Amino acid sequence: MSLLQQIKNKVRSKSIHVTFVDVGSCNGCDIEVLACLAPRYDIEQYGIYVHNNPREADILLVMGVMTPQWEDKLRILWNKIPDPKVAIAVGNCPISGCVFNRRESYVDPPVSKHIPIAAEVPGCPPRPTEILNAILSLAPVVFRDYEEKMK
Amino acid sequence: MGYLYEKDLRMMKYHILQSPRHMSLVSRLADDLGMRVPDLQKAMIRRCDMAYLENLPARYETWLEEGDRDDELARAIGRELYTIYVPLLDPDKMQELHLKVKTMADESGSPQEAASAGICMIREEILT
Amino acid sequence: MKKLVDVSIPIGPVHPCWKEPVRIKCETSGERVLSAEVELGYMKKGIEKIMRGRPWQEVMFLAERVCGICSVIHNMVFIEAMEEISGISLPPRAAYLRVIVNELDRMQSHLIANFSYCYTIEHETLAMYLLDVREQVLDQLERVTGARINTAYMIPGGVRFDLMEEDSGALRTALREIETGVKRYMKMFSSGPLISLRSRGIAVFSREDAIKARVVGPTARASGIPESDLRSRHPTYIKLGFQPVWREEGDNFARVMVRFDEILQSIDLIQKALDTLPEGDIRGGGICKAGETAYSGEAPRGELRYFIKTDEYGRVVDITIQTPSIMNIEACTHSMLKGVTSLADVTSTFISADPCIACMER
Repeated sequence: MSLLQQIKNKVRSKSIHVTFVDVGSCNGCDIEVLACLAPRYDIEQYGIYVHNNPREADILLVMGVMTPQWEDKLRILWNKIPDPKVAIAVGNCPISGCVFNRRESYVDPPVSKHIPIAAEVPGCPPRPTEILNAILSLAPVVFRDYEEKMK
Repeated sequence: MGYLYEKDLRMMKYHILQSPRHMSLVSRLADDLGMRVPDLQKAMIRRCDMAYLENLPARYETWLEEGDRDDELARAIGRELYTIYVPLLDPDKMQELHLKVKTMADESGSPQEAASAGICMIREEILT
Repeated sequence: MKKLVDVSIPIGPVHPCWKEPVRIKCETSGERVLSAEVELGYMKKGIEKIMRGRPWQEVMFLAERVCGICSVIHNMVFIEAMEEISGISLPPRAAYLRVIVNELDRMQSHLIANFSYCYTIEHETLAMYLLDVREQVLDQLERVTGARINTAYMIPGGVRFDLMEEDSGALRTALREIETGVKRYMKMFSSGPLISLRSRGIAVFSREDAIKARVVGPTARASGIPESDLRSRHPTYIKLGFQPVWREEGDNFARVMVRFDEILQSIDLIQKALDTLPEGDIRGGGICKAGETAYSGEAPRGELRYFIKTDEYGRVVDITIQTPSIMNIEACTHSMLKGVTSLADVTSTFISADPCIACMER
């Protein structure tokens, strides 16, 4: 393993930038992600920073069923995130559509039809600790030796 | 894809107008104005933004309670209804129409006739 | 809508200050906002369409998922509307327990609204303090109902779980702690000179405008309309001697302070309800019948109305939900934002009206 890769591994393990996008949830998952910021869970002690700028992010948290307005926009947002990147689906909605996936509704789940999803956190809504756990267990798997794997 | 994210919102605005309360309100207004429901929906979609459309029933209720209280004639043609509460017309244009209706009522001595003529003019104005 | 000037500044849909996607197009001359237009559709799921033709047992859970922040009141208003249709009476103990849960939910909703406001005016320390208090409130909600967000606590003719003696003791202790915390942060907010500069006198919304735009909830009460609080007409709240809090200034500061005051008032109400909690059953039971009604209750953001029509098997034939955010967001963007002198105040004004896009679009 090259020295450069080792440095990159070291840096990436302590700086995970997260952005979140709500593609039509009921707000429940939103506020649970927000609760991760609270001093009780203190997301920043693990080196995770929450941004709303996709150009700085490594991890995209997707919440909600796909609504018609997002169909073109989510892909644009995903393309703006620099490599290496992953998307995590938070809550039941992006996985299956939950209660909203019925014949009459306007939604178009799952989100994995539109962007590649690396991990799923089920729950309606999942607890903040589960969201944190998902980010922390996924990040090393994806970001460690990323350039070596790409060769 | 350019840098502008503008999207055609007409279908989404139409979805808002599909709830039963909106449907009953729109058909009531269309009855008052003597025009077809799709025409009125089209005018609403063109002139109101999405927040107005969501709020239409509540605004109409407020007009029933509060709007045009002191003026019989203004209430009959819905002066504040079509400018403030359901913004389909320009206030200046409405003022002009209201004056016209008022003089008509004074001349003919029959407010009902003048009001129905005024509603005709409002309908023409909304359709253009 | 008609264009006033050429410059139109869009804010959103993904914006650091907004937790939900919405897009506001501000027409500005210099930095002064002349008019604003809302673009929605990012959250339109069509819940009302899904609800139609389903039994109340399913609609009850769907109603909760209209909005995750104020899920308890959606549950409560739907269930009380069903009770009114079917003539189901409620055991007194259950009525009091409903008030306790509802007030806990209101506290956490107001705390997150004030958190967002502090976050938007870049006072992150105070925002984090408030978020910490909110976690304590959520713990109490979990203690009583067993869930943090979607509780499904109320059912026709009662509530699901009783409040144990030891739980009510723990709830009292926690409420005292929360009260000290909230009082401290309220003092920090009201005495901070920089917070004042960003909040006092910004986006003043007069009483006349408020009546005309039919705003509801804390936004209306900050403009001096105390009668907008529907809790003063609810039978259980009347028993508890409820008096609405209100202010006259109508600016951003007043809107946030009304919410702080209501948190303290909710703590008082819960304590009073715990003191006078009657003994007895928590579930009466009953059968949902055919009927039609319009029922309203006071959500954290204002008046929430359900228009429901059911058939003889308790299926929902027709339903329309009028949420408070519809009126508040509409009034905020079309009246409050008009004449705001700086674009930085646009976001803080919008957040001060406590918008909930999930409620608004359903």
